[in-house]
Amino acid sequence: MQKTDYIIELAGYKKEDFSVCLGCKICASVCTVNDLEMNINPQDLLVSLFLEQEVDRDHLLVRYCTNCYRCTSACPWRIKIPDVVRALRESLSVASPFEKAFKGSINIWGRVYEPYVFLMAIPFLLKEGYVKHMAKWTEYMSIHLPHKVKRLNRSNSLNNSHGLNGSNDLNGNKGRM
Amino acid sequence: MNYGYYPGCSLTGSARKLDKGVRAIFRKLGHSLNEIPDWNCCGALEYGDRNELIGLSRENLKKAEGMCREIVAPCPACYKNLKEANSDANFEILNPLELLDKEALVSLNAMRDLKGKVFTPYYGCVLLRPEETAIRNKTVMEDLITFFGGEIEGEKIKDRCCGGNQFFANKWATEKLSTLILEKSRGVMVVFCPLCHMALKTFSTKRKIIYLTDLLLYLTGDNNAL
Repeated sequence: MQKTDYIIELAGYKKEDFSVCLGCKICASVCTVNDLEMNINPQDLLVSLFLEQEVDRDHLLVRYCTNCYRCTSACPWRIKIPDVVRALRESLSVASPFEKAFKGSINIWGRVYEPYVFLMAIPFLLKEGYVKHMAKWTEYMSIHLPHKVKRLNRSNSLNNSHGLNGSNDLNGNKGRM
Repeated sequence: MNYGYYPGCSLTGSARKLDKGVRAIFRKLGHSLNEIPDWNCCGALEYGDRNELIGLSRENLKKAEGMCREIVAPCPACYKNLKEANSDANFEILNPLELLDKEALVSLNAMRDLKGKVFTPYYGCVLLRPEETAIRNKTVMEDLITFFGGEIEGEKIKDRCCGGNQFFANKWATEKLSTLILEKSRGVMVVFCPLCHMALKTFSTKRKIIYLTDLLLYLTGDNNAL
């Protein structure tokens, strides 16, 4: 299986689903990333995947898509481009240190334990200037103990999910890659 | 009425205020919320591909089997993920906003009103999009505010994106998007999403940004709600 086919399948689609795209570019006219003064056309991403062209990890949508689904609401075919971007991010292993800490917390406790996430991401938060916002975050901060959730039944949960029928697990091991 | 309750990670952490508010309002409405035992994270918007997200939420639905038919999920991301995982429709997944109709508002027995006050209701993305997982009544916050005499501003920005999803990856992007929203709004901003609340609050200067539940508690006489 082509890598692009795999990414499309991860997003819950088949390659043929993208063939209906009319090229109307209405997704580009509403895309939130364009509010960041970038010249983005989400339809180009679908075309690239349809033509089995690999998408670079520096693609502006891969980096900046906000998962807002404005493109989906506007699209005549309701194609969920944010789901495609999320599959791309996953396959290209694009995650900030904060997101990695977030996933790490879920793997340990089954839940997001915020003090752990902040602790693990401290070098990133310091470097990227998040500390100056700490004063405003005092309302949010709370010290509490993590609740230990019973280990997730990984194989069952994925077998029951849509699409790949358990070809990858929650550690991110991709069975078909 | 008895509902299953899925608070999700943020409502047990940084969005405890929303959790307390939802529980208090449901108590006032005469409903009971029974927390799903041993629930796990729904994956929010960050956890990997769609299969992984749906898998996590299916685990939660399995844990709710036998205890309830209707599950209340206040966090918009949890609500969306549970709704997507509920493909065989064993449960009805509800957001508290869907239970706040006119009848419910009357039974709140409000002791105050909002006359002369200006509000900007802000829903953000996940509550309104995509259509199949969106809340049914997309003007519920406006209905509520005007019902109690308040004025509405900033309707055109209610479904814009605050960039909360990029907060811990590209902070400047969230700052730019949130600032655009803050500039186009007036009065008190009323939100229901923990991520929107955090993003807007971080980049606002003097604006008051509150959860809808805070507003409801204020109406029912709670002096510390706002």
